[in-house]
Amino acid sequence: MKAFFASVRKEFLHIFRDKRTILIVMIMPVVQIVLFGFAVSTEVNRARVAVCGEISDLQVRRITDRIDKNRYLEITEILSTPEEIEGLFRRNEADAAVCFERNFSSGLTGSGGASVRIIGDGSDPNTARMITSYISGVIQDAGQDASISLSGEKAASMTPSVQLMYNPAMKSSYNFVPGVMGLILMLICSMMTAVSIVKEKETGTLELLLVSPVRPLWVILSKLMPYLLLSAGNFASILLLSHYVMEVPINGSLALLSLVALIFVVTSLAMGILVSVISSSQRTAMLICGMGLTMPTMIFSGIIFPCESMPLVLQWFSDIIPAKWFIIMAKKIMIQGAGFASIIKELTILTGMAVFLLAVSIRSFKTRL
Amino acid sequence: METNAIEIHNLTKKFGDFTAVDDISFDVRKGEIFGFLGANGAGKTTAMRILCGLSRPTSGSGTVAGSDIWKEQEKIKKHIGYMSQRFSLYPDLTVRENIRLFGGIYGLRDREIREKTATMLEILGMEDAADKFCSDLPLGWKQKLSFCIAQIHSPQIIFLDEPTGGVDPETRRRFWELIYAQAENGTTIFVTTHYMDEAEYCDRVSIMVDGKIAALDAPSSLKDRFGAASMDEVFRTVAGRAEREDQ
Amino acid sequence: MWKYLLEKEFKQFFRDPGLPKMALAFPVLMMLVFPFAVSMDIRNINLAVVDNCMSTGSARFMEKCTSSGYFRLVDLCHDPDEAMALMDANKVDAVITIMPDFDRQIGTGKGFPAGIKVNTVNGTKGSLGAQYILQCVRLYLSENGTGMQAAAAGIDISEKYYFNPTMDYKLFMIPALIVIAITMITAFLPSLNIVSEKEAGTIEQINVTPVSKTAFIVCKMIPYWVIAFFILTACLIIAWAVFGYVCRGNILWLYLFTVLDIIVMAGLGLLISNYSNNAQQAMFVIWFFAMVFMLMSGIFTPIASMPDWAQAITYVNPMRYYADAMRAIFLKGSTPVDLWYDAAGLAVLGTIAVTAAISSYRKSE
Repeated sequence: MKAFFASVRKEFLHIFRDKRTILIVMIMPVVQIVLFGFAVSTEVNRARVAVCGEISDLQVRRITDRIDKNRYLEITEILSTPEEIEGLFRRNEADAAVCFERNFSSGLTGSGGASVRIIGDGSDPNTARMITSYISGVIQDAGQDASISLSGEKAASMTPSVQLMYNPAMKSSYNFVPGVMGLILMLICSMMTAVSIVKEKETGTLELLLVSPVRPLWVILSKLMPYLLLSAGNFASILLLSHYVMEVPINGSLALLSLVALIFVVTSLAMGILVSVISSSQRTAMLICGMGLTMPTMIFSGIIFPCESMPLVLQWFSDIIPAKWFIIMAKKIMIQGAGFASIIKELTILTGMAVFLLAVSIRSFKTRL
Repeated sequence: METNAIEIHNLTKKFGDFTAVDDISFDVRKGEIFGFLGANGAGKTTAMRILCGLSRPTSGSGTVAGSDIWKEQEKIKKHIGYMSQRFSLYPDLTVRENIRLFGGIYGLRDREIREKTATMLEILGMEDAADKFCSDLPLGWKQKLSFCIAQIHSPQIIFLDEPTGGVDPETRRRFWELIYAQAENGTTIFVTTHYMDEAEYCDRVSIMVDGKIAALDAPSSLKDRFGAASMDEVFRTVAGRAEREDQ
Repeated sequence: MWKYLLEKEFKQFFRDPGLPKMALAFPVLMMLVFPFAVSMDIRNINLAVVDNCMSTGSARFMEKCTSSGYFRLVDLCHDPDEAMALMDANKVDAVITIMPDFDRQIGTGKGFPAGIKVNTVNGTKGSLGAQYILQCVRLYLSENGTGMQAAAAGIDISEKYYFNPTMDYKLFMIPALIVIAITMITAFLPSLNIVSEKEAGTIEQINVTPVSKTAFIVCKMIPYWVIAFFILTACLIIAWAVFGYVCRGNILWLYLFTVLDIIVMAGLGLLISNYSNNAQQAMFVIWFFAMVFMLMSGIFTPIASMPDWAQAITYVNPMRYYADAMRAIFLKGSTPVDLWYDAAGLAVLGTIAVTAAISSYRKSE
């Protein structure tokens, strides 16, 4: 046990002496969470709409004004022919276009009805769909008002109210912050451990430790200790920022969230050890973590792309990504305020992964070195 | 034509508060083997890096191979060869490929490179190992190869930074044979070492202590002056006065 | 001199046990698997309905929703609490509660007699879900409402999407995945290469030779350019052979923008390696920038959705310009004239990065 503490001490000295690396490791997550917490968002914001039609027409002008007043939309261009739209899209100068038919007003007041076409830039399907649905909502309201003013009757709006649950302000950060938290914790932890162990492998100091009377298990554990501490620091700073700067609520229990994070960090550290065992150089270790872990975690953990819309095979694949389970739990605890009972399934899975990875990594560490 | 290969006046190099090289002046004559001795941390590697154009001095002036150490670093590099204490040929290239690379870097033509490679391998007795990766060579071979590559472009001066660290005396002796052969062709050799028996092979030696040159003369004159039987004794007398600790 | 340095770099690259495999396998795998995963195509929104009316009218309304193709009716609940519990457990994304006198109220036209709740933890999904439900409501009203309400929907609105009429999300992501693959490879590899030469000490042997800084750095970059072109070609072939997408614009322009991007990325990578003490630091910093570039490039989420200060930051993000250009060329057939803005952005960043990299690479201290 004494030897264990001696080697833990050595690891701490080792890491905390390299001030620059410590600084990088502590500051990077903070900058990332701030940047991504605010920037990663899918809210439609001042979409640029081009209008094509007779702007002298009363109703056309009225609808155009309404679109421009909508907080999500902004009229940027008035076109004379629809042919110009494609060029606009190609130069990325507009996100959507609205084409009114000729004699729009008379069509609206007459019996034939008036027609209008909304053209979206399908190259970004989701944004296009959101923008067109905003525009069509505006036009519909306008149409309703027009017909009311025609018939002179005053009627209640037939648009039902939609209640937005959990995230009434529709803040993207509620969705993305827990995700980004998982991503950053996972990568920082695994990368730090993997690279530093491989470094010792390269310089041969690891061998020195392994021939010492300290048992390999303790060698690994003593290597993990400082990173566990660093990760705890990272977790705390990320959480503080997301709560006080990004204003993401923590509706559930903080203790539960910390427990979940701890298990997740251990899983990531174990993953780091595994990477260090299979890679021969720091370069390989870094590439495996930097590209091999980053991309799948980003894509498959449901941070940006919902797992439910993936094909079944890929959904199974996403089940083996530890970050997915952490993120699900983090969202449930932080935003929905769920308690222990409703995360028991995910917690069991994550704990299982942690134990499994730790066991495998320690085993392979012993045999491969 | 000047007769000195290296002329250094009042050279100083500071790293923050620490003065690694403290106001040294010396000349190295053309064609001599100049030993540059000193304990670890005495500042000899720093001084040598300045001479090779790898580092800029804090103050002082000097010329190496007739070029100014301040303004003509790149010109110096054309006329010197350098071999460092760390083996720094590419381990993932073969012997032949390393020779080819450095030959090419110094502007040799393909035909010249082929000829040089053949003679070099013959001198080294490494014909069979020509297509082996450098990482697979024994240390002594690596050092000899580094030395040969350092003189591939027939430089005026060759800098050797502790060239024989970590090998047995027999290998070291053979390495010195190579050095002598090269010096006989008129090449100036500037060598740092901490083996005192090697110091005896030099035409002149300087001993650095605490960033200053404490003694500079031919080995025999130094032995006379300090009344010592060997260079080892000379060194211990001179370096014993050091205040800086070994690093 | 150049010839020999290049020869060295290529030999070293192909001799590395893992590097060539990784550099090629990573993009190919990414192209083959990720397009299926990166679907944000929001269909199959899980819906629960609490039908308190049980009339033909309410049934018809439900039918309207389910036949729209956006919703999957998961459960018919009897009481609102049950539906809420389902939402708490993430089993449903939206709940529609139909009021007891649904049919009568539709007749009188005093507001729409149903309550709608949408889970908006995921904002995109939530707001699209809400919009879809509202569309169904309007559709229902236009067919079943009384005269006046039908007239309210008197404007015939049709929607059309250019460039991607089937709204295929894969098509949107494929050029972006190419961008990611190329950027990752060209940012990571050359700088790791320099740092490892630094650590091995071989760079010092080069520094005492008369090799010029520019020659050394350019020769280090060239192999990665070749690799980047190879990756681009392979990805385009996969896009065509596996997914059936062809580039709508001139393929040449894709290569042009790729050249610009790799110059920027390689310059940045080298700049970072010049300032790092060891490989670990260099890697962390590069990874940090790679993440920032990727998430703030508009690849995954639109730049227009970012707050103004974040949008301002994206102006120095090379991936923003590169991704924008690649998508526009691939999907819309844009030309560099249309995209002069992206080209200029990359060119400026490239000039700065490469100049800084070369001038900060010191052969002497």
